[in-house]
Formats: sequence, structure tokens, C-alpha cells
Amino acid sequence: MRTILILIKKEFLQVFRNPLLLSILIVAPMVQFMIFPFCADYEIKVLDIAFIDHDRSNISQEIIHSFDASDIFVTHGILSNKKEANEMMKHDKVDIIVEFPAHFERLLMNGSPTRIAITANAINTTKAGIGVGYTQEIIGGYMQEYMAQNMHYSGNEIPANLNLSHIYWYNEQMNYKNLIVPGILVILVTLIGCYVTALNLVREKEIGTIEQVNVTPIRRWQFLLGKMIPFWILGMAEFILGLVIMKLVFGITVQGSIPMLLGITAIYLFVMLGLGFFISSVSENQLQAMFIVLFLFIIFVLLSGLFTPTEGMPKWAHYINYLNPMSFYMEVIKKVVLKGSAFISVQKETLVLVGMAIIVNTGAILSYQEKSK
Amino acid sequence: MNSIEVDHLTKKFGDFTAVNEISFQVKEGEIFGFLGANGAGKTTAIKMMSGLLQPTSGTAIVAGYDVVTQPKLIKRNIGYMSQRFSLYNDLTVFENMQLFGTIYKIPRKELKKRIMDSLAALDMTKQANLLVHSIPLGWKQKLAFATAILHKPKIVFLDEPTSGVDPIVRREFWNLIYETASTGVTILVTTHYMDEAEYCHRISIMADGNIRLLGTPEELKQQVGVNTINDVFVEYVKH
Repeated sequence: MRTILILIKKEFLQVFRNPLLLSILIVAPMVQFMIFPFCADYEIKVLDIAFIDHDRSNISQEIIHSFDASDIFVTHGILSNKKEANEMMKHDKVDIIVEFPAHFERLLMNGSPTRIAITANAINTTKAGIGVGYTQEIIGGYMQEYMAQNMHYSGNEIPANLNLSHIYWYNEQMNYKNLIVPGILVILVTLIGCYVTALNLVREKEIGTIEQVNVTPIRRWQFLLGKMIPFWILGMAEFILGLVIMKLVFGITVQGSIPMLLGITAIYLFVMLGLGFFISSVSENQLQAMFIVLFLFIIFVLLSGLFTPTEGMPKWAHYINYLNPMSFYMEVIKKVVLKGSAFISVQKETLVLVGMAIIVNTGAILSYQEKSK
Repeated sequence: MNSIEVDHLTKKFGDFTAVNEISFQVKEGEIFGFLGANGAGKTTAIKMMSGLLQPTSGTAIVAGYDVVTQPKLIKRNIGYMSQRFSLYNDLTVFENMQLFGTIYKIPRKELKKRIMDSLAALDMTKQANLLVHSIPLGWKQKLAFATAILHKPKIVFLDEPTSGVDPIVRREFWNLIYETASTGVTILVTTHYMDEAEYCHRISIMADGNIRLLGTPEELKQQVGVNTINDVFVEYVKH
């Protein structure tokens, strides 16, 4: 016990004497926290739109004017032909082009089939998708109103699919910060757990201090615990700091139980610590460790459902995700922070994380022992 | 009484034989010099004797314990100072000694007394609270030695303890070695400085994983028919 305590003391002394490490631990992640949510934002604030009007009727003109009233759309006038429109889209001047066919109004009045072509620049698929949705909504809204007023149609005869409305559950304002900010918490905890610890142990290997420790009668588990506990404490402190910033800056409060959230985070941290030590025992130097962590980290993040919903991923990605601790933890964070779920709905994820913690740490101890033979 | 008994000790890394069936004994309180060119297998041999590395074959009994089956007990009874300086640069002198002393389970009060005594002996009492990276290399080496013997080991392994330090500190360092040996501690030391080899009670010269020569400095000089250990070394490593 005294051995582990002195090791913990040693680690803390070293952390607090290393200004670079301290800033990596505290300042850098916090800055990331402040900047990232504002950049990695799927919310569409501005859409550039232009029109091609082959009809030049009342209806087409009124529809075009109805876009002026919108806060999101910036209208770029009526273009004379498709070529001009294509040029504008090519140079990123417009995101959406709406084209009215000839005799649009007449066909509409006759009840003949006609259609408005909406073209979107799909380089940014999210923007295109949302842009088309908004465009349809405005046109649909106008059509509904027009038909109701001018043609004395009864409400039932308006095609239901013109009425486009969306409800986004758990994130009602379509505010992506609500998703991104808890996601950053996950990234922070992962970085401390895996990256910092892996580098720390490999560094001792590089400068040779580990040899001096290895030649003492210290036991492997004592040494590993003496390394893990300090970084575990730092990780938890970082997480709590993250929760405070989340509340103060973004106004996001944890909907579920905070002690439960801390408990599951503690388990997740042990998974990441074990992984960090495993990586450090298979790498020769800090550079190698860094590459391995980076490689895993990118896969973890991309599969975790932070940037893209996991539901849209192919089957094989789902199978890989069963090995991805971050995706289970992300699920817990989403459920507990945003939905306020009780333990019963995160118990599967928690059990998986416990299992992973046991496997990864056993692996870390075994691989570390092997090296000293 | 022998404190180290090495019998046909061998270490292979794949096809490469780093240490090839070496055998020798070291008596209690003896200063035993381990000489050899770079890559001769000295460090590998020391790592096996100190329980850091498993031998491929052969046995070694160190402080009465078998290196293969009782490495934990060996570690408790030896001190080790590696080629590279391996105390923590970002801890103070006192913190380093406290860390290693605690790992060896020296009781708290006793440990504090031993640290203060050994710092006083090194004339480093004033430096106790300085960070290690701020003190000169020669002092660091003396500090590393003091740390390695804090738990009163029966045997101390010193792997090139004086490389890169000035002649005065080297002299002081050897005085420390003599003082320690005089209390009955066995010293096994590797070095590249042939004048230092002359200070050893007995020396062995290794080349390509084998021990080529073994005896007192005087014996070796007579055997080879030269006047200095330096000449003995050059003569033997050449072959």
C-alpha cells in the first residue's frame, strides 16, 4: 500500500512539474471544448438560392418572393438559363436552384402533372439535404395557402405530402451543440485515458527509468496501479470540469443521474487506461505509441456515432463497433446526458464496458510482464 | 563464501548468441571488473544476473538465490545502476531516494535517516531539494550509486557507472566503491576505462559473448606479458 501511495505521489509531482503536460491535460482540451462545438456544427444558417423561371406566371413569381421572407435563404435573382445557373453553382455562388417549367401555372390549374425541379449542390451532403427540405417546405407552404385561398379547394384535397414538417426528438431546436458537446466530453476522457498514459509509460522506457524500477522487487500490478490511479483521478477531474463547462457555457445540464454517469465514466476510463498501457508495452518509443493511439482513436471516433449516426452504417461497421468501447460510452452519454435515462436502459453498455475493462487490463499486465523476460 | 556463482550461463536472441556459456564465481566483498568491447555481452550478462532478463540456459546463483526461479528474492538483495542515468530528472534528490527506498520497504523514519546520512557522506545535503536535472552529471552518478545501495544490498551491479564523468569525480566514485566493498558488499562493475580495471580485485575480459581471460590484474598482465591492463585488453579483443 505504501508502495502504491509513493508511486501515486511521484506521478502527481511529475505531472505538476511538467508545464507542457499540464497544459495538454487541462488547457488544450478546454480550448477544444470552447472552439470545436462552434465549428463542427451541422446547423445551416445561410443557403444561397437562385431561380430559373420558364413560366413567368403569377404563381412562380409569388413562390420566388416567398423565399425573400425567409431568414435562411439569400436569393440571387432569376437567371435566364440553365447554363448560367450551372456556372453559379460551380463557383459556389448558389447552393440551391429552383426551376419552374414552362406553362407551370396553366398545367397546375388544369390539374395536369407538372413539377418544379430543385437542384442542390451535394458536395456538402448535409447542407444539400437540409436545403432541399427547407425549399420543399417553403414551396409546399405557399402551395397550400394558394390553393386554399384562390381555388376554394377544401383542405382535404391538398396533397398531404406537400405539408412537410419535422419534429426532432431530444434535440428539438435542431441544436447540434447538444450532441457535439457531450461528444467532446467523450473525446476528452478518451484522450486522457489512452493517449496521455500510453505516452507516459513509453517515455519512462525511452529515458530508461523503467529499468531502475524493474530491477526493484516491485510487483507489476503495483507498478501499473501506481500509474493508473493518478491518471484515473486526472481523467475524472477533467470529466467533472467538462460537465461544469457544459453547463456554464452551453447551458446543457445532465438530465439523468450524475453519480451514475460518474460511475460509468470511471469504468470507461479504466478501459482506456488499460488500452494505453497495452499500447505502451508493445511500442518502443513515444512516436510509435502516438501513431497507434491516433490510428485507434480515429476509428473509435468515426464509428462511435459522434459525427454520423451509427444506424446508417453498413453491417460490418456494426460488427466492428462491438469492439469499440467509445461507441458504448457514447451511447451512455447520449442517453444519460440528453435523455435522462435510468440505469436500466444503459445497463447493457455498462456491462460491456466492465467486461472490456477486465480484458484490456489483463492484457496490459500480461504484455508488460512478457517484456521483462 | 561466493556471492555470485555463474555456471554456463547463456542468452540467445534468435540466432544471435549474446552470452555464450560463461562461468565464474565472485566472492563476498570482492570488486569484480567486467571488461569487454562494446557488444561483448556484458550488459546482457548483468541483466541476467540481476533478474531483468531470463537466461536461455545455464544457471546463476546470486546472493544465494537462483535467477531463474527466484528473481524476486534476488531483486530484493541487489542494487543496480544502469549504463544510462535512470533516476527521475523531474523529481528532487530527496524525492528520488524516498521513492526507491519506499519501494524497497525501508521503514519511513529509518529511510529518512539513511537518506540524510548518505547525502551527508556525499556532501550533497544542500542539494536535497534540488531537481535532479539541475545538478551536474558527476553528482548525478554518485547520487544514483547512493540510491542503489540505500536498501543495503548484498551485491551491487554497476554498468559503466563512470562513463562521461570527469577524472576527479571518477576518483571519488571509486572511493565510494571501495568504502562500500569494505562493508562486505560485493561489487560487479563494467567499465571502458582500463585504469579503473586496475582498481578491481579481479577482472574478466569478455569478447563475442565468451569470457576470454579471468584473474587478478597482475596475473593477467603476466600471462599476456604486457605492462598494463590496457595492453592486455587490446591484445585480447583484437583476436
